[in-house]
Amino acid sequence: MKIDPKNNDELLNSYIDGELSQRQQTQVKRMVTHDQQVARRLRQLQNCRTLIMSLPAVEAPDEMLEQIKATLERKTLLGEQPVAADVNRGARHLLARKVLAAAAMLALVAILAGVIYTIVAPRPETERFVAKAPEPAEGASQAVPITHTMAGFSGRLELRTNAMVAVDAFINRAIEDNGLSDYVTVRSRNGKSVYSLICSRDALNLLLTDLASIWHKTDSAALFVETDSPVEPVVVKAVTADQTYEIINQDSLRDAVEVAANLAVFNSVAELMPGRELFSAVDEGRESLVTIPKPVLTGSRQKPKRKPVSSDQKSFLTLTIVVTAN
Amino acid sequence: MREAIRSAAPNISIDDAVLVEKCRLGDSLAMERLILKYQNRIYNVILKICTNPDDAAELTQDTFVKVIEAIDKFRGQSSFYTWLFRIAVNLTLNYCQRSAKLDLKSLDAEKYEHEGAAQALKDFLSDDDSLDPAEVAQNKELTEIAIKSLSELDDSQRAVVVLRDVEGMNYAQIASVLGTELGTVKSRLSRARGNLRKILESNLK
Repeated sequence: MKIDPKNNDELLNSYIDGELSQRQQTQVKRMVTHDQQVARRLRQLQNCRTLIMSLPAVEAPDEMLEQIKATLERKTLLGEQPVAADVNRGARHLLARKVLAAAAMLALVAILAGVIYTIVAPRPETERFVAKAPEPAEGASQAVPITHTMAGFSGRLELRTNAMVAVDAFINRAIEDNGLSDYVTVRSRNGKSVYSLICSRDALNLLLTDLASIWHKTDSAALFVETDSPVEPVVVKAVTADQTYEIINQDSLRDAVEVAANLAVFNSVAELMPGRELFSAVDEGRESLVTIPKPVLTGSRQKPKRKPVSSDQKSFLTLTIVVTAN
Repeated sequence: MREAIRSAAPNISIDDAVLVEKCRLGDSLAMERLILKYQNRIYNVILKICTNPDDAAELTQDTFVKVIEAIDKFRGQSSFYTWLFRIAVNLTLNYCQRSAKLDLKSLDAEKYEHEGAAQALKDFLSDDDSLDPAEVAQNKELTEIAIKSLSELDDSQRAVVVLRDVEGMNYAQIASVLGTELGTVKSRLSRARGNLRKILESNLK
């Protein structure tokens, strides 16, 4: 059998390396036995293999392990650049904390300055006795905005009652009896009635006189007096019919606001006094009740006296009466 | 001794799986054992391919560092043994090609001044007799000639010869390390041995 020298070498090398099957090994042995050239070539290849195999094995340097570990540690350190990033992140965090602290300090100083200014700064006369107005009932102030006019008074009277029907009926009748139908816009919705009046002072006084007779049917009454400044209106809580009359009949808006502010303080103090539940009875003139002296304002806080309506005040006043069922 | 190491290879591979798993879990002792187990063999193969001891030491370090760094990616599709040598051989061949570090001094330039070595090599190449491996190993001049002749082989052929005759891998393992077909290994090894003999003969003329 004639074999290509190239394939012959591959076969002989595989034979030397023990990579042949049993049948191939037998074939090679037969070839070597019968062919001197093949036998010679086999020895050449075997010697070549022996030469390389006989090369002495060289051991790695003694410090190899330590060097590998050192390299790994160094790479780990270099690879831990996130550590450096952490340092940067820490620095950024520290800087952010400093900035926040500075901002907090500035805010604190600003608040303190505001407080100090509030204490020491002169206030307008009208604000001196203005009680802090509570948030208007939700929906009431939005649905019934106070109308600004050039009149001497502009405000909103909010009445809460359990006798909604009776109060509504009474107000409607009073409006009709006093000939104010043309000056009133009435809206009723969701247990709330809104009467928007734009009328003369005299006409409003007539209506208020009538309203005084059902004032006891209300659970609460608050008068919001609009001022000429953009600040919140002056709120007189637990306002009586008499007080309402008094505020409305001031000569000017400024006076009305001042009186309202005084009464707001007065009513607030009275609200805090023990036995306040008796005040309404006192106001109503129930002589059978024990009379508790009402707080009396002195000096500038003295309860203002009713002033007569001047004849030249013919301008229209605006009052929005909001009756809400409890 | 080398044969003893080769025969122990299957048992080593069993231990390898355990060591690799421990190494993955961060067991530094297992990592050291893996390095100690293979460092001499890796160094020896690399040195036979690149011929420079300093380069071989550096490449051996690089090999183990790369192996440890990439051990989480080792999926066990091949044995750790062939994976380790694949990294080592690839690093070595790339390094040799890139830096032209191979000492390719012509054997003509370095005369075989030792008559004994030259005669031994002539006898070796006469193919009248089979040479005693122990005798070859003890002849320092002869080993130097063999190493220099080996270094003149083409890189890919030298790698095949080293993996087979120095490390003692079988053809399948060589194919796995080099990422080639089994037939390629056969033909390449055959050409390599033929060329090596020619180099040896030419250097004696």
